Amino acid sequence: MPRPRIDAVDLGKTYAEVTALTGVNLQVEAGTVLAVLGHNGAGKTTLVDILATRVPPTSGTATVCGFDVRRAGHEVRRRIALTGQTPSIDTTLSARANLVLFARLLGAPARAARERAAELVELFGLTEAAKRPAHTYSGGTRRRLDLAACLVGSPQVLFLDEPTTGLDPVGRNGLWDLVRELARAGTTVVLTTQYLEEADQLADRLVVLAAGAVVAGGTPRELKARVGARTAALGFPDAWSARSALDRFRQSGLAPVLDPGGHRVSAPLPEAGRLLPLLRALERAGLDVVDLAVTEPTLDEVYLALHHAAWDLA
Amino acid sequence: MSAPGPDRAEWTGSSLPTQVWVLTTRSLRAAFGDYRLVFFGLLQPVVLLLLFTQVFAGVGALPGVAPYAGYVNYLMPATLVNIAVITAMGAGAGLMAETYTGVVDRLRSLPIRPVSVLLARTFADSARLTVQLAAITGAGVLFLGFQPRGGVLGLAAAVLLATVVGWGLSWVFVAIATWRRNVELMQAVSFVAMFPLMFSSSAYMPLASMPGWMRAVATVNPITYAIDATRALALGRPPGAAPAWALLLALGAALGAGAVAVRNFRRAT
Ligand SMILES: Nc1ncnc2c1ncn2[C@@H]1O[C@H](COP(=O)(O)OP(=O)(O)OP(=O)(O)O)[C@@H](O)[C@H]1O
Ligand SMILES: [Mg+2]
Repeated sequence: MPRPRIDAVDLGKTYAEVTALTGVNLQVEAGTVLAVLGHNGAGKTTLVDILATRVPPTSGTATVCGFDVRRAGHEVRRRIALTGQTPSIDTTLSARANLVLFARLLGAPARAARERAAELVELFGLTEAAKRPAHTYSGGTRRRLDLAACLVGSPQVLFLDEPTTGLDPVGRNGLWDLVRELARAGTTVVLTTQYLEEADQLADRLVVLAAGAVVAGGTPRELKARVGARTAALGFPDAWSARSALDRFRQSGLAPVLDPGGHRVSAPLPEAGRLLPLLRALERAGLDVVDLAVTEPTLDEVYLALHHAAWDLA
Repeated sequence: MSAPGPDRAEWTGSSLPTQVWVLTTRSLRAAFGDYRLVFFGLLQPVVLLLLFTQVFAGVGALPGVAPYAGYVNYLMPATLVNIAVITAMGAGAGLMAETYTGVVDRLRSLPIRPVSVLLARTFADSARLTVQLAAITGAGVLFLGFQPRGGVLGLAAAVLLATVVGWGLSWVFVAIATWRRNVELMQAVSFVAMFPLMFSSSAYMPLASMPGWMRAVATVNPITYAIDATRALALGRPPGAAPAWALLLALGAALGAGAVAVRNFRRAT
């Protein structure tokens, strides 16, 4: 069996008093997408920075493409690309000039570098901004340039630290498509996110970090099975009909909760198929539904569920 | 959207000369693009030059200075070194300012040698320094009655030597910048170092006119070698071993501090 593209064993990082990362084990295969989920300060950036050789670990080992991040950093950097959480481009240069610069540094001849820059400017919708210096760009445009800078070469492993932060819905969907396509072409992608939905959309596997430790890992389906499913929330015209609706929920086998406002009832939805019988029952009872939303579990609910799971084991 | 094609598979790094060349061209734009850098680097040394040539015109009659036929001839070459020293001190702050814009972050994650990033910066700064020195020398000849007996060749050699000295010294400040990423500290160090370094040298007074202890300090002050060498070259006097010493010291500073700077540069924080 070939070695995984990323292989981390008992990885840890401590700053003076803070344990940013502890005991992380991780294997990522070629052509797969790993999502690293976690709240602010959970250690996502620290993990990515260690794997991308920006920060040395204080314990454990990690190899990327078979090279040790601590001892063979240069070899690792030849095979990866990173877009960090904060933009890292030359803001005095235009989008085009930035991309040409990075291509030249990767060894592209001047002409090929210009051609590649033009391609990426097109691909990331930077045409309009291509000639202005980057400090005049909007936050989202700067982010797109930062992402484009990652694809100047053809990295075997791509690290994206909260790549969709600051992107509008169109930009976000474009990035999702791009990540899927890169993975299909064999690139390994590691991305961090605070949104379970994003991880669910993109990732083959995900790990959940809390306080620097992996608290859960697996496929998105496995995690969702543990966390419980989507939530259906229905709005009613008044408190009376909302209370009456509670019974219909129960009769449909759901566990409803009345919102503090009193006009809204929500319940976990184990399967989508439960929704229609519920709506029919409500219609038969003559209860108007004025609002309907089905939401994916949030990261908070993931943490909560994992916390309860830990309790159950204890 | 198109995934990267196979033709780019071999773009996994460039040679050191390519890195240095590409990065130097980039830094040159920054070095000359900001007129404040070009202007303020000259401000302090030029004010000193004007003050000294006017207020202390009488110094020209002192025994050690009289052979130079005018204090301006004594001071002008020292001013070249003074400007070089100030530019060198700015190199650290410049590197740090760039670190905050994030591009250095990107460079650190590319397969390039740290030394090329630092070399490029110091080369670009040196290019700006050469232009500044040439401009000041021209202004000295035109407006202050500076008479460089060394001719165009001697002047060119003096400017070049001052540039190399500034380049060597700039590594010391780049090393400090990569060690303690702290602009205030840099400025404090520069300010404290600047005046004693310049005044305890042969810049403003011949060593012979100094009290004994000061003369001892000035004799071992590396700046003295740089100034003596620049002065001899510009004025067409026998330079002796001074240029060799100045170059040697500059090279030593570059190598020693450069090693420290390169080692520190990889660290992210
Ligand atoms: N240079 C540093 N010095 C000290 N502590 C640090 C340093 N960098 C990170 N930390 C700490 O390490 C922990 C993990 O930080 P990290 O940046 O990895 O979190 P994150 O999951 O990326 O958070 P966010 O979602 O806010 O980006 C935090 O408690 C942070 O304060
Ligand atoms: Mg982060």
